[in-house]
Amino acid sequence: MDFAIQTIISALSFGSFYALGALGIGLLFSVLRLINFAHGDFITLGGYALIVPSSAVVAAALIGGFHPVLVIVIIVAFVVILALLTYFLIFQYVQNSSPATMMIVSFALGYTLQNIVVMIYGGRPKAVNLFPELTGQVQLSDGVGVQILQLVIIAVTWILLIALVLFFRRTRAGVQMRAAAEDFRMARMLGVRGKRLIALAFILSGALAGIMSLLFVTQKGVLTFEMGVPIMLFFFIATVIGGMGSLVGAVVGGYAVGIASVVLSAVLPEDIRPFRDACVFLIVIIVLLWRPQGLVLKKASQERV
Amino acid sequence: MLLSVENITVHYSRLPALRNVSVEVDEGEIVCIVGPNGAGKSTTLLSISGVLNPTSGEIIFDGQKINGMNPETVARAGISQVPEGRHVFTTLNVEENLRIGTTIRNDRAEIEKDFKRVLETFPVLAERRKQSAGKLSGGEQQMLVIGRALLTNPRIMTIDEPSLGLAPNLVDRVYETLTELRRDRGLTLLIVEQSSERALKSADRLYVLRSGEMQLEGNTADLQDGEKVRQAYFGFEEGTPQEGGVTF
Repeated sequence: MDFAIQTIISALSFGSFYALGALGIGLLFSVLRLINFAHGDFITLGGYALIVPSSAVVAAALIGGFHPVLVIVIIVAFVVILALLTYFLIFQYVQNSSPATMMIVSFALGYTLQNIVVMIYGGRPKAVNLFPELTGQVQLSDGVGVQILQLVIIAVTWILLIALVLFFRRTRAGVQMRAAAEDFRMARMLGVRGKRLIALAFILSGALAGIMSLLFVTQKGVLTFEMGVPIMLFFFIATVIGGMGSLVGAVVGGYAVGIASVVLSAVLPEDIRPFRDACVFLIVIIVLLWRPQGLVLKKASQERV
Repeated sequence: MLLSVENITVHYSRLPALRNVSVEVDEGEIVCIVGPNGAGKSTTLLSISGVLNPTSGEIIFDGQKINGMNPETVARAGISQVPEGRHVFTTLNVEENLRIGTTIRNDRAEIEKDFKRVLETFPVLAERRKQSAGKLSGGEQQMLVIGRALLTNPRIMTIDEPSLGLAPNLVDRVYETLTELRRDRGLTLLIVEQSSERALKSADRLYVLRSGEMQLEGNTADLQDGEKVRQAYFGFEEGTPQEGGVTF
């Protein structure tokens, strides 16, 4: 029973993390048809912004040493600005190209960002102790302890999800974004400013990445220049499983992948456990054979012009 | 002249879709462009709306050159298009679709008044306000996109084949609505239509476009017998096949 509760919490927190990542990718895909493979590296850069830029072996806290509220605000703002810069300096020049072109550009951007990190901070992993109070355990009942951070991840995700739902349902910009995601040209013909809307999508996606930087670094306790790559792969798989272009799908896909990973590590025999990710991918293939369009059907699939 | 398209040529990649086409629309007029499939009718409207960029020629709206502007700027200048295939936002409900039409406006009180007016003009939209727009029938969707375009408070509305995919009685209803809109609020309309009978019935002036070139222009009052229009439309006189031609 205790084990079950711990597994459920762990699965939900993993799923929440993947859902946030998949949402960050889905937001850009929905209005721009861009699969941003640099998203994981945005998260990496947000993490590195916490420490003093130097190649010293021991990391010294920079922003990471500020008051927690400041840490959150500055890191999120930093990643938002980074995301916006990539739009205005790079993506806006390829936004009318094919999705494949944009995707390759995002790959190139991702590698560039990783190498910039190596140039400034060196290639070695750096230990970072962010929000240490969150890595402790909380006792739910006798003997059932879960990590506080896992509960924080779940809570933060749900707050963000509710905020996003309200944004998309209640605000003018949100409704415009849904319209543009379905039919970008028609939205523009009704006066929706295309560039501004895409910039807003980069802001939202960047804000999610910034928050994820903090969660991810707190959990890992270490920074590496490649740390965004494997998680990006899972985010991407989550968006595909959920159904490209559907934000609900991104969330569903994120939870599906996260929960599958955790449940597999709990139930797989000891010998197979190291190959957990392979098993997850196997399930992904089966799901896609069964539903090539993803778990959540989206109503609109027109090409944008 | 409210809108004048002056000698525009438009290319799709390198193929010309329009050659030296001119169209004029005066305030309060209903003007129809008719022509067979592939004549370049939609290309003309998309060029006016800034979706396509003419390689030569000019488009002047209210004294201002608008070719080269992007679609949102053209919309903000006062040209609202109902494109071919209607393009309702199926993931949005009826009210949200209409609200997108008010994107370019900030006059809250006026918006609410216009919003009520549109719902009065199209009562079926009022009934289905909270329903997904994708669930509406073809005729209802056509009403929705016309209502949505009206809410931009346009100085001219361009409509691409309002009769496409609608039952004949619904087509009558749509045209009735359009002529009422002109009568009641002085709306200027530029309509693309395949059926020349329909155009002769509803428009003040008419253009016939075929193979990317303008064939005929005139007041519908002078063209009522339809012969000249048919000739321009098909490219030869009815019943007299040209070399290798086909008799209709």
